[in-house]
Amino acid sequence: MLTIGLMHYLVLSAAIFCCGIFVMITKRNAIGILIGVELVLNSVNVNFIAFDRYSQQPGFDGQITALFVIVLAAAEAAVAVAICMNLYKNINTIDVDRGDALHG
Amino acid sequence: MSNYETYLLAGVAVPFVSFFILMLFGPRIGKPLSGWLAVAAMATCCVLGTLTLVGWLGEVDSGTAAELTAAAGESQFHWADIGSVPIKVGVNLDSLTVIMFFMVTFIATWIFVFSIGYMAGHSDEVDGKSKYHRFFCYLSLFGFSMLGLVISSNLLFLFIFWELVGLCSYLLIGFYFDKKFASNAAMKAFITNRVGDFGFIFGLMMVYFFLGTLDLDGAAAAFADQYASGTGLFDPSFTINVLGWHVSGPMMATLMGIGLFCGAMGKSAQFPLQVWLPDAMAGPTPVSALIHAATMVAAGVYLVARVYRLLTPDAQLFIAGVGCITLTAMALIAIVQTDIKKCLAYSTLSQLGYMIFGLGMGAWIAALFHLMTHAFFKAMMFLGSGQVIEGCHHEQDMRKMGGLIRKMPVTGVTFLIGVLAIAGFGIPSMNLGLGGYFSKDEILAVAWDRAGIGGEGHHSDQDGHHAAASGATAFDLVSDSHEAHNGDDRVAGHALATDDADHAGVLKLMFWCALITAYVTPFYMMRCWWLTFMGKPRDQQVHDHAHESPMMYVPLVVLAIFTVVSSYALFRPLIADAAPALTDAVLVTAYDGHADDANHAKGALINLHGAHDWLFWGVGWSWAIMFLVAIVIYRNGVGLGSKLKSAFSPIATLLEKKYYFDEIYDFMFVRGCRLLASISAFWDTYVVDGIIASLTSKATERFSAFAGRGVDANIVDGVFNGMAVTAFDLSNLFRSPHTGRIRNYVLFTAGAAAVAILLLLFFDPVPDAQAILTSAGG
Amino acid sequence: MLVRRWTSRRFLLTASAAVIVLSATVAFGQESADLKGVPRAVQGGLLEALLFYLFGGTALVAALGVCVSKSVVRMATWLFGTLGAVAVLYLLLGAFFLSAIQLIVYAGGTLVLLVFGVMLTSKSPWVRFECSKVEMAAGGGIAITLFTGLFLMLTRATWPASAATANGATVKDFGKELLTTYLVPFEVASVVLLVVMIAAAYLARQER
Repeated sequence: MLTIGLMHYLVLSAAIFCCGIFVMITKRNAIGILIGVELVLNSVNVNFIAFDRYSQQPGFDGQITALFVIVLAAAEAAVAVAICMNLYKNINTIDVDRGDALHG
Repeated sequence: MSNYETYLLAGVAVPFVSFFILMLFGPRIGKPLSGWLAVAAMATCCVLGTLTLVGWLGEVDSGTAAELTAAAGESQFHWADIGSVPIKVGVNLDSLTVIMFFMVTFIATWIFVFSIGYMAGHSDEVDGKSKYHRFFCYLSLFGFSMLGLVISSNLLFLFIFWELVGLCSYLLIGFYFDKKFASNAAMKAFITNRVGDFGFIFGLMMVYFFLGTLDLDGAAAAFADQYASGTGLFDPSFTINVLGWHVSGPMMATLMGIGLFCGAMGKSAQFPLQVWLPDAMAGPTPVSALIHAATMVAAGVYLVARVYRLLTPDAQLFIAGVGCITLTAMALIAIVQTDIKKCLAYSTLSQLGYMIFGLGMGAWIAALFHLMTHAFFKAMMFLGSGQVIEGCHHEQDMRKMGGLIRKMPVTGVTFLIGVLAIAGFGIPSMNLGLGGYFSKDEILAVAWDRAGIGGEGHHSDQDGHHAAASGATAFDLVSDSHEAHNGDDRVAGHALATDDADHAGVLKLMFWCALITAYVTPFYMMRCWWLTFMGKPRDQQVHDHAHESPMMYVPLVVLAIFTVVSSYALFRPLIADAAPALTDAVLVTAYDGHADDANHAKGALINLHGAHDWLFWGVGWSWAIMFLVAIVIYRNGVGLGSKLKSAFSPIATLLEKKYYFDEIYDFMFVRGCRLLASISAFWDTYVVDGIIASLTSKATERFSAFAGRGVDANIVDGVFNGMAVTAFDLSNLFRSPHTGRIRNYVLFTAGAAAVAILLLLFFDPVPDAQAILTSAGG
Repeated sequence: MLVRRWTSRRFLLTASAAVIVLSATVAFGQESADLKGVPRAVQGGLLEALLFYLFGGTALVAALGVCVSKSVVRMATWLFGTLGAVAVLYLLLGAFFLSAIQLIVYAGGTLVLLVFGVMLTSKSPWVRFECSKVEMAAGGGIAITLFTGLFLMLTRATWPASAATANGATVKDFGKELLTTYLVPFEVASVVLLVVMIAAAYLARQER
C-alpha cells in the first residue's frame, strides 16, 4: 500500500474517469457536460504520464501525448463554449435536453 | 540534384500555383487580369525551360549530359512501396525531356497570350456568371499536368499526369458546356480516352507484374536482363493460361507493349479511337491549338517513345500498322472537309499517324523530330484559324470565306508558312526547307529502308561499314551474341526472331501508303489555305467584317519564326541524343537508319535526301506538284471541286461520313446498349409481368373466391394487422433509445463500455501488464 | 455552526492553498541543482506515498464534488480542485513541464473559459436543471459498475514490481525533444489551435 506503483495511479485515474462519465450523464447544463469531459481528459492524462514514468522505455512519448491532449482539450473547450453560445442563441437555454432535434 | 532538375520541378510547380490561385480567387481577380496571371506563370516556365535548354546544350557539348542523366536517375525520391516494388519519383532528365519541356512551355506561353485576345471577343458567361478565369485556371492545370507528364521518370506518375491532361482536355473541350454539342464532344473525348487507358492500365499491370518495377529505366533494364538471361518473360517454359489460351512469354511481352500503346492510341487519337479528336474542335480554338494539336495529343507519341525499349518487334509492327491506317485514312478525310478547324483536325490526325508509324518502323529520332516541328506549325495554324474564325464572326465554313489575305495579311502569310511546313516544303539537293521537309521525309526514308525497297538492301550495305552498329537490327545483334554465348536454341529466341523478311509485304504496303499520303497532305493543306485566303470573296458580308487583332497575330508571328528557324539544327541533334542506345534496346529494331552513328545524329545535314535517288526526288517535290493541283482545282472557288466531288460521289460521301465510324460506334455501342435495354424491357413487360399477371393474379382470384369472407377478415386480416401492430410496436421500442439527447447517448456508450469490461473480466485471462510494458519498451 | 459553515468554498480555498504550498515544496524544496527526475527524498519513499494519497485524495474528492454540485459555478470550482491536485500528481510523476502547463492552460485558461461560457449563456449563473432520479440512478450505477470493472481488472493484473528509476530528464530535455523529434505534431497542434480559434470565432459571431 505504501509503495506507490503504476496501479495506484491507474486506479485513481479510473475513479476520476468514472466521475467524469457520471457528470456527463447527469448534468443537463451544457457547460456541466463540458466539465465532465474535462474530468475524463484529465484522468486520461494521468494515465499517459504514469505509463510514461513507469515504462521501461526512455523518452517522452507519454508526456508528449498528454501535452497534445491538453492542447486539444483547450481547443475543444473553446469550440464547445462557442457551440453552447450558439445553442443558447437558438433555443434561449443551454439545457441540452432541449436540443433533441436528432430525436428518432 | 542538379540545377536542371530544380528548374524543371519549379517549372512544373509554377502553373500549379497559378491554377490554385485562379481556382480560389479567380472571380475576384477578374477578367483580363486572371488571363495575364496564367500567362505570367507560363512565361516563367518558359524562361525556366529556356534556361534548361541552353544549359543542357552546353552540357551536351562538353559531354557531361550523360552523367547528369545518370545522376538524376540516382537521386530519385522514394515515394511509396506497392507490394515489394518501390515507387520512386524523379525527373527523367535527358535531352528529350529538356526539349519537350521547352517546346510545351514555349508554345503554351504564346497560346495563352493568344487566348487573352481570343477570349476578349467571346462571351464567357453562364447564368450571368463569368467563367473567364476558369478557362485560364484549366489552362494552367493543363500546363502543370503536361509538364509533369514530360518529366516523370516513373510509369505510374506518367499515368497520373496522363489522366490529369485527359481531365483538362475534357474540361476545356466542354468549356461551352451550356451548348449541347460541346458537352457531348467532351464526353466523347473522355470516354474514348478511357477505352485506350484501359489498355494502358493493363500494360502497366503487366510491366509491374513481369518486370517488377514501374520505373522507366528500371523496366527497360529488367526487360533487357530477362531477355539476356532467358528468365522471366523469356523463360522457355513460361506460359500463362489466359481464358484457355496458352500464352507464351514473348507473346506476353508483345501484349504488354500493345497494352501500353493502347493508351497512346486513345490520347493520340489513333485508329480506331480517332473519333474524338475532330469533335474536340468544339472547344475554344486556343485549346484546340494547344491541347488537341500541339501538346497533349503528342503525349501518346511521347509515351510510345519512352516505352520504346519494352516493345517487341511484333508490337512495333502492330504500332506501325495502326499508325499507317490512321495517317492514310485521316488524310483522305481531310480532303473533303469544309470546316477550317475540322480540316486542320484531320491533318493533325494524319500527322500523328506519321509519328506513330515512324516509331513503329523504328524511326525513333525522326518521329520525335516530327513531333517537335509539327507542334510548332500546327499550333500556329490552329491559332491562325482561330484568328480567321474570330475575324469572320464565328464563321468556320471555308466555302464562305475567300480573299481574306487582303483583310488579314499577317494571318494569311503565317498560315502559309504553316502550310509549307506541313507539306514538306524544301528544295531538294540544297538542304533548304521547313519543318516537315526534314522530319516527315526522314520518317519516309527510314520506312523505305525498312521495307527494303532500296533494291540492293541497305541493311547489308551498312553492316559492312558498321560491324556492330547501325545496320543490323538490335535484335539480331543480341540474338547472335546470345547464341554465341550459350549455344543452345532457346524457344524465346526463335519466337522472337521476327525477320523483316517475314513481313516484307506488309512493310512495303505501309511504306507506299505513307508515301502516297505525303502527296495528299500538300493537296488538302493548300486547298484549305487557298479557299480561305485567296480567290474572290464568296460571302461579301463575312469579307466586309473581317479583321485581325495584334493580340492574336503576335503569337502567330512568333510561332512562324520558330517554325522557320528552329527545326533542324537545334532539335534534331538533341532528340538524337536522347535516343535509346542500341545496346539498351533489346528486341527493338532501333533503326533510325543511323541511330547511333554519333556524327550523323549530331546533325550533319540530312543524308537521306542525298542517299536514295528516286525517293529523294519523289518525296522532295511532292509539295510542288500537289500545290499546283490544288491551286488549279480551287483557283476559282469551290466550283470545280464540287463537280469533282459529285463525279466521285460514293467515295466523297464515304469520306464525308468519316468512313461511318461514328455511325458504326453508334450502332454497336449506343444502339447495342439500347437494344439490350429494350430486350430486357420486353422480357420484363411481357414475360415476367405476363407470368405474374396471368398466373398469380388469376390464382389469387380463384383462391379468394374460394376463401370465405370470414377467413379473409378474421385470419388473414388478423395476421396482417397483427404483423403491422407488432412492427409498429417494435419500431417504437427500437426508436425509444434514440432520444436525440446527448446525455442519453453518453449513458448508452458508458453502459456498453461497462458491460464490455465486465465481460472481459470474466472471460479473459489476467493480463500481464509487466510483459506488455516490457515489450513496449523493447 | 462550524460544521455548517465549512462550506465547499472554504474547503476549496484551504485545499488550493495547500496544493500551491505543497507543490512548491515538492518542486523546489529539494536542492535546486537536483531537479532531474523526482526529488530524491520523495522518490519511492514514504513521502511519495503520503503525497500521492493526499493529492490523489484531493483530486478524487474534488471530482466527487463536481458530481454532486448542482450549480455550474460550483462544479467549475470543484473542477479547479481536481486540476490542481492532478498537477501535483504530475510533479510526483516527474512531469514538471506538464504540471506547469496543467495549471496554466487548464486552471488558468480552460476553466476561466468555462466560467465565461456560464456567464454568457444564462440569465443567472445559478440557474439549475435537475435530471430525473432514474437517470441519476442509472448514471451512478453505470459509473460504479465501470469503476468496479476497471478496478478489478487493474488489481488482478501483474504490474512491474517497483518504479523505474527516474530517467533523469529535465524540462530542457523535454523542450529539445518537443522541437526535434516531435516537431511535426507540435506544428500540427499549432495549426489545430489556429483553426479552432477561427472556428470558435465563426461559431460564436453575432449573426447580422
